[in-house]
Amino acid sequence: MTTGVAITGVGAVTARFTGGAATVSAFLAEPSPVHDAIADERLVALLGDGEARRLSRVCQLAVAAGRLALDDAELRAGDDVGLVLGTEFGDLRSTVEFADGYLAAGPPGLSALIFPNTVMNTMAAATTMAGELAIVRAAGAIASGRARAVLAGGVDQIDPFLGSMLADLGAGEERRGEGAVMLVLESASSARERGARILGEIMGTASGALAARPHGVGRSTQSSVVAEALAAASVELRHLGAVYDSTSGDRGRDHWEQRLLDTALGAGHERRSSLRRLIGAHAGAGALGVAAAAGAARRSGQVAVIVGP
Amino acid sequence: MTRVVVTGLGVVSPFGLGVKAYWEGVRSGTCAIRPVTLIETEGFRCRIAAEVPDPVPGSPRRSRADRLALAAAREAIDDAGLGVAERRRAALVVGAVGGGMLEAEGWYWPAKRGGAPLCPTPALRSILPYSHADVVGSRLGLGGPRETLVTACSSGAVSLAVAADLVADGVVRVAVAGGADALTRICFMGFNALRLLDPEPCRPFDRARRGMSIGEGAAFVVLEDAAHAHARGARAYAELAGSGMTTDAFHVTSPQPDGEGMARAMMAALARARVEPKAVGYVNAHGTATLQNDRIEARALRSVFGAGGVLVSSTKSMIGHTMAAAGSLEAVATILALVHETVPPTVNLTTADSEVAFDCVPSMAREAAVDCAISNSFGFGGQNVTLLFRRL
Repeated sequence: MTTGVAITGVGAVTARFTGGAATVSAFLAEPSPVHDAIADERLVALLGDGEARRLSRVCQLAVAAGRLALDDAELRAGDDVGLVLGTEFGDLRSTVEFADGYLAAGPPGLSALIFPNTVMNTMAAATTMAGELAIVRAAGAIASGRARAVLAGGVDQIDPFLGSMLADLGAGEERRGEGAVMLVLESASSARERGARILGEIMGTASGALAARPHGVGRSTQSSVVAEALAAASVELRHLGAVYDSTSGDRGRDHWEQRLLDTALGAGHERRSSLRRLIGAHAGAGALGVAAAAGAARRSGQVAVIVGP
Repeated sequence: MTRVVVTGLGVVSPFGLGVKAYWEGVRSGTCAIRPVTLIETEGFRCRIAAEVPDPVPGSPRRSRADRLALAAAREAIDDAGLGVAERRRAALVVGAVGGGMLEAEGWYWPAKRGGAPLCPTPALRSILPYSHADVVGSRLGLGGPRETLVTACSSGAVSLAVAADLVADGVVRVAVAGGADALTRICFMGFNALRLLDPEPCRPFDRARRGMSIGEGAAFVVLEDAAHAHARGARAYAELAGSGMTTDAFHVTSPQPDGEGMARAMMAALARARVEPKAVGYVNAHGTATLQNDRIEARALRSVFGAGGVLVSSTKSMIGHTMAAAGSLEAVATILALVHETVPPTVNLTTADSEVAFDCVPSMAREAAVDCAISNSFGFGGQNVTLLFRRL
């Protein structure tokens, strides 16, 4: 069984905007850079004291965004709603905190409460495009009839240890951000049946891997994924109205991506934009890109595409 | 409907390199849980684990877990006889948890104590779980969709379930899937802190069980569209006929007490395979030997299969709980049980818990021609995965 995949809800938690589809649309209509960390008080306000105290920061972000998305879709969580969460770095902060307990006091310094946070527990971990992969996985489950509705998106946090680690490793100049963006995806028929507002439709997805040294960028400028996604959607290249890429300020990776897109789209296709340059590089940006693409397609009547190498 | 078959197997286990060593180990009921040598254990209640014996192949510049993954994936691909063109289109789905944490600890521990790092800074590049997929994919030329899945102790199993979906949905004809994990200080200390480790080798389903033993390893399989495998003359070990994935949505570490989420995963796998419970002859249980898991899994099994309806064993009694590798290592044991018509035993089991209403195949492997078998994997957060294999 193959079914259409509708986007029926959005939940976003960033330093500048927090809310559902309307909030995200307002930000995208007049975007401005958001690279700040999210104030703790804002997360406490979203979750309440008790829940905020029990959850690590990255979990606070994910839970808050997930709840906002479900509310936005007017859907209740339950047996029928799957979850696919993407992250690049997960809860590295808790891992360091757990290790520090041991290093400070030996075995008695270990916290049984922190240990579970050291496991990422995410269905889509990847560099750069974890959020997009989560959406692809969720859309696939719905399109094949294995799931009726899935909450999917990405989350990452800004962490000082991570920042220094990336600097030590000579990472690119990308500016990292933090936040969580989740989408509610549903089978289009099920969404229509319950009278849900449909923000957009995911018509085709594709993902693939190119030869590159581990943790690095590659040299190939040929990728078939854009063509595969278009074919899956039965859409011609000329109908693309907007392209959201994943450039983030990391010169080497960005250059590679632009060359890949030049080949896939043709050099004349200039309507490309990157939300990562606005909200920083984090897994939530991928889901925000999908929401933005859906909005652009709805406004223009054309098809938008979201990509990320 | 596309049928998905297993055409390649690859393993690095506490019994050493290769599928052959692994099967000989589990079939003979050998316990590979011994004193830990890789990390310091001073001051901990439990000081044993099932380590992969040295040398682990591959460049020492790669993390131990990356090397485990690469060796197992390479064996699986060679076993399946995949050519360059098939690899270029094949998907890679990896279950991972610890990533290169062992090396990252070797960098961080001494640095924090003011000493010289045991590992160079570049070792940190492999700290995150997706490092395995990057290394395996780039070294073995796998150019299809590449995904890393982290669902704690069910990561290895979920990698097979998702890869099978990619094949069944027609996204790819061939997928390489599996899990890998090396022993790490964080994992060893964490389970010690939770007081979930037995100071002696674990005793799944035993009345006197006191917790789990941890281990390390990697296992990969090649999953393939049956028609594609047939067309290229590949040998198929078994069919991955169904999978079920559910979440308890109950607690961060504890399973739902009534086992409803686990049972739902098993029922989903049966439904997808269109197999009745009575057709299943063997269950490779999650069977960690913690008080909670074994009791709750036994309840879930009873609710699905009825009392005494199926042979149940835990291969963790021999190789420990290998975390992200567990689901795929146990899937390989389940496939080989079908192929060799031999059910691996549960070792260290003296007296079964009164709540365990099954023959747990104590101590010695048992000859049994089984047509369908399932492998259960349950992770932190109540992430339940069941894989159902059918003999060909």
